[in-house]
Amino acid sequence: MWEVMQKLRAPLLPGVVALALSTAYLIALLAAEKQPLIIGLLAFAVVAVLAAHYLGWLDLVSRSFADREDVLGVYAILAACVVAAFFHDNHFVLLLFVTVLLYTVATLGLNIQFGYAGVLNFAGASFFGIGAYASAVLSTYTAVPHLLVLLIGGMLAALIGSLLLLPVLRTRGHYAALVTIAFALLLKTFLEVNDVLGGPQGMQVKGMSILGWSFNDNFEIGKIEMSFYLNYFAVSMLLLTGTFVLVRRLERSWIGLNLDALRLDEIAASCFGLDIARWKITAFLLGNFLIGIAGALFGMVGGFVAPNNYTFADSLIMVSILLLGGIGNPWGLVVATFIVVVVPEKLQTIQEYRILLFALIVIMMLLFRPEGLLPRPVRRYFPGWRA
Amino acid sequence: MSRIARQLSFIFASALFVGALVATAQAKDKIKVGFIGPLTGGVSANGLGGRNSADLAVKLRNADAKAKYEYELVVLDDECKPNVAVQVATKMAADKEIVAAATHYCSATAIATVDVYHKFGFPIIVWGAVLPDITYRAKYAEVHRVNGTMINQNDANAELISKIGFKNVAVIHDTTDYGKGHNEYFSKAFAKLDGKIVGTFGVTADQQDFTAELTQIKALNPEVIYFGGLTPIGVRIRSQMDKLGIKAVFDGTSGIVSDAFIQGLGPLAEGSLAFREGAPTEKLPGGKFFMENYAAQKYDNPPEAYGAFSFAAMDLILDSIEKVGPDRKKVIEELANVKERDSIVGKVTFDDHGQNTVAVITKYVVQDGKFVEWDNSEYATGKRKLPGQQ
Amino acid sequence: MDVGLLAQYVMNGLMLGMMYTLVAVGFTLFFGVLDIIKFSHGDVLTVGAFTALATYIGLRSAGVGSTPLLLLAMLVVAIPAMAALGMLIARYLVMPLRSAPALNTLLITLMLGTVLRESVRLFYPQGANPKAFPALLPTASINLGQFNLRLDNALMLAAGVLAIVGLQLLLNRTKLGLAIRAVAQDEETARTMGVNFTAVVLITFAIGSALAAYAGIMNGLYYNEINFGMGLYLGVIGFAAAIIGGLGSIYGAILGGFLFAALQTIGTVALPFASAYKDVFAFTVVIALIAWRPTGLIQEKISERV
Repeated sequence: MWEVMQKLRAPLLPGVVALALSTAYLIALLAAEKQPLIIGLLAFAVVAVLAAHYLGWLDLVSRSFADREDVLGVYAILAACVVAAFFHDNHFVLLLFVTVLLYTVATLGLNIQFGYAGVLNFAGASFFGIGAYASAVLSTYTAVPHLLVLLIGGMLAALIGSLLLLPVLRTRGHYAALVTIAFALLLKTFLEVNDVLGGPQGMQVKGMSILGWSFNDNFEIGKIEMSFYLNYFAVSMLLLTGTFVLVRRLERSWIGLNLDALRLDEIAASCFGLDIARWKITAFLLGNFLIGIAGALFGMVGGFVAPNNYTFADSLIMVSILLLGGIGNPWGLVVATFIVVVVPEKLQTIQEYRILLFALIVIMMLLFRPEGLLPRPVRRYFPGWRA
Repeated sequence: MSRIARQLSFIFASALFVGALVATAQAKDKIKVGFIGPLTGGVSANGLGGRNSADLAVKLRNADAKAKYEYELVVLDDECKPNVAVQVATKMAADKEIVAAATHYCSATAIATVDVYHKFGFPIIVWGAVLPDITYRAKYAEVHRVNGTMINQNDANAELISKIGFKNVAVIHDTTDYGKGHNEYFSKAFAKLDGKIVGTFGVTADQQDFTAELTQIKALNPEVIYFGGLTPIGVRIRSQMDKLGIKAVFDGTSGIVSDAFIQGLGPLAEGSLAFREGAPTEKLPGGKFFMENYAAQKYDNPPEAYGAFSFAAMDLILDSIEKVGPDRKKVIEELANVKERDSIVGKVTFDDHGQNTVAVITKYVVQDGKFVEWDNSEYATGKRKLPGQQ
Repeated sequence: MDVGLLAQYVMNGLMLGMMYTLVAVGFTLFFGVLDIIKFSHGDVLTVGAFTALATYIGLRSAGVGSTPLLLLAMLVVAIPAMAALGMLIARYLVMPLRSAPALNTLLITLMLGTVLRESVRLFYPQGANPKAFPALLPTASINLGQFNLRLDNALMLAAGVLAIVGLQLLLNRTKLGLAIRAVAQDEETARTMGVNFTAVVLITFAIGSALAAYAGIMNGLYYNEINFGMGLYLGVIGFAAAIIGGLGSIYGAILGGFLFAALQTIGTVALPFASAYKDVFAFTVVIALIAWRPTGLIQEKISERV
């Protein structure tokens, strides 16, 4: 039986080819400087994806990814390292890349909350900020080792999130949305008026340093000079891999099954004996924990935290990434985060209009393709089994 | 066409297309210099004026036949917000092609970014921010400033208020480092002259409603309301003062020296005080030269209060690059040796913290819809009286 | 505390409460009729205020100088324009998503709000800067000790009350109001009874957006200034006010609006660090109220919606 199922698995090749092409494209896009070239590349991507969809290739790729995820996951990590190596001395591209990685971790946290448990969280950026401020305060006033600081950032975010638990549990739909929106505004105002935490001026965050290796100094391997952002890249990559694996395992475990049941129909789920409150709490806290860790690391990367970085508008961007990528699908999130973070930075000509265009694109998506770019496939119990 | 044929032709077409794109990506070399300022938001008038002035410096240099290099100005917007400023500063400093930059009007943004410039070894000259900490908090070789600091401004401010005979002042300041700095220096200076601060109120830089603070101030009955902050909330405070019937003198700092202040208030601006370091643009040594060339370019916005300093900063940068070449480290060394250098704002000398000394402080009062120098105004002669003046 | 000072605080609170209420009433109307939250309501307010300003500038440069005429013109242009905008939004963005999950509608209106805000910022000349709004109401004032009663504030307060009373009359005494209440209660039955569902929805959106324009002009007159971000702040507060009052109930919206303003004023007066923490205080109380009464202070009764 097992051998039959193994044979029915989709081939590895389409996935590998897709990864290789995407890596090459990404390098080209990140390296391009001239506006016409960038616009051309973006247009090409849109056309290529649409064409691939019609020619049936996209379907092959998605099946390949679904069945061979572990191997392709390893290849994806390798691909990321290739991109990082290519830009080893380019500060700005690496910073962009690290931003994408950390935003993906944060959105994966939101994904657990909403995509799996149906708990609305419109204060994602606020919890991100809590993690960042935690790393700012701890690295400035204490000598806590920086890896521990990341964990503390996550736990603090989860802890403060638990304050919202009572209102979140007791409400549904619009009312739940209001609770998190009110919290987002509350936190930003609190940070702004509070002088201890730096007020509107924010706080500087010391760069990360592990066992004496300072992350904020450029280093050299042989004669090749490397940007100091490569240090952060390594840690972020580890964090993302860990989170991704966690999310996947969670989804496939009985915990994930419970969360799915909860999201689809609360009343039916409670009829089956599921403890609604317990699972909602778990999802909410776990999600916030991940968001907090990502925030703490991002604070160290940027070296600066200020209330204006973590407003309601930023939380909206995170929710939109979730929507664009396809709620519940981690790969979709990665793609969507890339699009949302990289494209506005590259297209300088539309810098002014980027928020407007972004909002318009989300509106279009909601009207015409609400499932997102890479919608989450129906839960599959056996590899090779197609619904 | 058969399916295979369709797929093959698609691959071929894409390859051709990509090849064509790559071929068109030819780079042309120019030396890049940068400018950062608030191009959008409440104080954008100053940012745009500064940008135009820096642009003027680059244009004039490019038109100069004796110049060794050709220059391109890269402009970024810091929106007068510290977090945005750090992002754009990181972006500019991380770009190895940009050699140096003239940066920041808002003190809140300038103080947030000094560490970024130091991290990347990127030489900058501040053109409009007045907070002393920017150059004095740490000794960074990368950071310089052509305009003065707020200390002298506030000394002159306290002196004038005291001379006219006002003894009770309420202070409103914004909670960024800029406002807090003004509060600190003014309070110190005024206390030295035996003046009394009846109350101090901190407000956020984008606050809309001041009725709460102003109601409390009304109960304290001060003669003067000192405002340490920028034009947008200055306009709001002054107009809400009127709504609550508070008859005190509105005393501001260099943050409100802007046409936007007068436009926003109309007749209510009459009798407001303001102070600024440096002589009015027309009276500067290179003032006439600057104004004539600026007008010739037909920019959409006037240079505003700090345009001349922006021009001087950019000119200094261009001079340094001409002398030592487009190398950041060499430019930093060269800027450290600036002593008694001629510029349109007078002689520039950077002290060991990179700070230039600007001795002159101009006192302004708004008279008939214009900022007029105090000594030339009808208020100084006694023909008109400030609210509450004896 | 001095009585005059107290009176001043009360007056400030009343003005704020009136503006919040006008916005909250809009939210409640939309929810009552379609069971959705139209988050772009605050930004419709902004567009309304800017439309009024543009009308003013246009007329002034055409030579019209009479103040009452200018004010009338602004009202006449901005209010129907926003009503039309509201109808367009309903027709093309909200109604198509009626069968989708509620989150989608919430998100699409949030994004629409962003589009409106950014459009004002980008396409109105120098939109990013705060703009001076003309003071078109008489500015005479009476000084009663510490309390300064201004005529224009009193007028605006009266006008706000009139608007709300007018709305209540419309809903309770007219056929249109009856139709709206019927649709709010039970869509299918109302249709069976011959009520034109689409028309009612569009008209309700028109009314709500008209109220927003009205609130926008009031806001402009009160602060003598408008800026492109004013709608976001007011929108969230209006939403919070509608929720704590209980979505679907006009009385709830009124209660919520004045309650929020009262919280802000109390926060200002009672807390030692002046008004810096007033918003933190108000929002904390909002969250606590939601935790205590999840469907609002005036409970959402199934039988009565609007």
